[in-house]
Amino acid sequence: MRTILKIALGAATMLTPAAALAQETVRLTLWHMEQPPHRVERIQELIDAFNAANPDIVVSQEPQNWGEVYAKAPAALAAGQGPDLLFAIPDFTPILKDIGALTSVADFVEELDGKHDFIDTAVEAYSYDGGVWAVPLYNMAMNLWYRKSVLEEAGVEVPQTWEEWRAAAEALSRDGVSGMGLPANKQLYTDQTVYSVMVNGGATEIYNEDGTLRFDNPETVAAYEFYTNLHQFSPADSASWTWGEAEACFSAQSCAMVMQFSVISTYDTQAEGDAEDLGVAAIPSKDGEDHNTISYANAVMLLSSDEARMEASKKFVSFLLEPENYGRFLNMEPGLFMPVTADGAQAESFWSDPMVEKYREQIETVIENSQNGRLFGFTSGLTFPSIAAISAQNIIAETLQSIVVNGQPAAEAVAAGQARMEEVAR
Amino acid sequence: MRRSLSLNALLGASLAFFTALIGLPFWWVVSGSIKLPQEIISRLPTMFPQSFTPQHYQKLFQASDYPVYLINSLIVATSTTLVTLVLAIPAAYAFFRLTFPARGVLYRSILLAYAFPSIVVLIPLFGLFAKVGLVDRLPSLIIVNVAFALPFSIWMLRSFLAGVPKEIEEAAVIDGASTLKILRRIMIPLIAPGIAAVGIYAFVTAWTEYVFASVLILSDAKRTLPVGFSGIIGQYQIDWGLLLAGATVAIVPVVALFALIGRGFVSGLTEGAVK
Repeated sequence: MRTILKIALGAATMLTPAAALAQETVRLTLWHMEQPPHRVERIQELIDAFNAANPDIVVSQEPQNWGEVYAKAPAALAAGQGPDLLFAIPDFTPILKDIGALTSVADFVEELDGKHDFIDTAVEAYSYDGGVWAVPLYNMAMNLWYRKSVLEEAGVEVPQTWEEWRAAAEALSRDGVSGMGLPANKQLYTDQTVYSVMVNGGATEIYNEDGTLRFDNPETVAAYEFYTNLHQFSPADSASWTWGEAEACFSAQSCAMVMQFSVISTYDTQAEGDAEDLGVAAIPSKDGEDHNTISYANAVMLLSSDEARMEASKKFVSFLLEPENYGRFLNMEPGLFMPVTADGAQAESFWSDPMVEKYREQIETVIENSQNGRLFGFTSGLTFPSIAAISAQNIIAETLQSIVVNGQPAAEAVAAGQARMEEVAR
Repeated sequence: MRRSLSLNALLGASLAFFTALIGLPFWWVVSGSIKLPQEIISRLPTMFPQSFTPQHYQKLFQASDYPVYLINSLIVATSTTLVTLVLAIPAAYAFFRLTFPARGVLYRSILLAYAFPSIVVLIPLFGLFAKVGLVDRLPSLIIVNVAFALPFSIWMLRSFLAGVPKEIEEAAVIDGASTLKILRRIMIPLIAPGIAAVGIYAFVTAWTEYVFASVLILSDAKRTLPVGFSGIIGQYQIDWGLLLAGATVAIVPVVALFALIGRGFVSGLTEGAVK
């Protein structure tokens, strides 16, 4: 009996530290929307490295879909089943902020900024109402993609102005090839391409400083008129395009030029993959002066209300932004995700990826273009919650459809677009 | 009666047209899934593959969680089908053969389940399931799928039950058979084609359900095929080969189900039941 008691006591003594350790382990759940298998795999590699280096923290990932996360995250948080870390784009953050799920991470972002030097516009997209609501992680900026050989053969220079752009699209439209692949779908991709034209025609702001809408203005109308004019050189099915169709059109050489965040991955794996021939440029501007673009600084929101979990979340985000890890993180999709920090843009871990090495010239241009990134509703340092509804309803794209598909004059369509924005903003 | 040559030709042409109309998209998906990426997105599409590669299937099964999604979908769809049948058959029999108070009202009101778009009940349902610990569990999907498949299944079985001559039941009653026995030994065998139709309907409904599966399931390991698959094909950059391979595999269980029980459709409903 005594022996059994000794064994039991010994076992209990041995188990006590383990039990204590288990109690101290902080478990974090990360939700992100990078679902393709190779991205999930890369994030898992980083999580494994972090977990190994931090035995007191266990991070696990649950990939989600952009299509549902806007409804799913608030519901899960309300039910107490939400994540500790959640990736975001700027128009997603106000939704969670409005339900009280976010606390400002201004101090943490400032600390990281001192260490890594964020691109200003990346932080601005999450800075409003006296706080910073997410930590920028990576950038995506729209660019003009083309094949150098195709432009050379047609005797066309890379367009700088809207006039040159239209002329190039017309000259390149021959032998069944569409000069310029532009979407006209009521979908986010069209929001992005239309806004990329708007920001290059002086129509960057859609809000006045007092929160009223200023979408209906002559610059916006001119941008829509130009876009519509250019759209005639697009394939007939482009009114139903999303990103994938545009990329396929370019890769198949059915489109001479497309506007896209990146075509590198598809061009390399599904088309000729000739890095020397792939051209990328800033979106042409109305007068050829400043070239702007739409850019999405993707970020991570820290949602834990528990202090220990919040600290652990910060530790994980800090880990991701360390230059030796950051490049590996960005290269979960080489050529698509761009650094938002100065030291990340220099990181060996970023430039040593074989795909990045191969397309270094193009990626450097994309990073340069992303410095002039803008995002509708997040441009003036004042962000209004209604931008989430305006974005979710794709009203910018809807306005274009009224012109391209329904034949409505641009001025009327833009006025109707503003009315729709006001309606959903109420 | 002999059909004229021109009528035969017209029927043949119509048949060929509709076969092509239905079959070509399937052929496009299946044949595309074994083409090289360059051929899939080629400017000049090829009807017959000029290249062959198993790479999309390899990626699908080796580098993605597709097999997990497939198994989850099979569990949810099969369970939904079985539960729907177990509930729909006695319910339909009760509605059409038994008399009880408010039968007509109840019968009509079950269709109210379709009065609300699923998106309307999504968030309240999430809260409800969260309270009982069913969020992120496959039974939650089975419950929802059954709830939506059941009313229509009961209605579908009505026409099949109505086709069974009353004399058969009356003969069984005279022989002393209980209600349960009549249902089990007489009605179910006679309405087998209807049960097959309801089974296929419930299976396909559950197999393709997206909205609830996308919200009620949080973790990747419990995701069903439509939701999981939509994620792995990518958003900004679509892997077309992976998409086609996944779509090809996704239709296999449905085709197999039709092959297995589809013959029930062509058998006579009450052939030889009454002399």
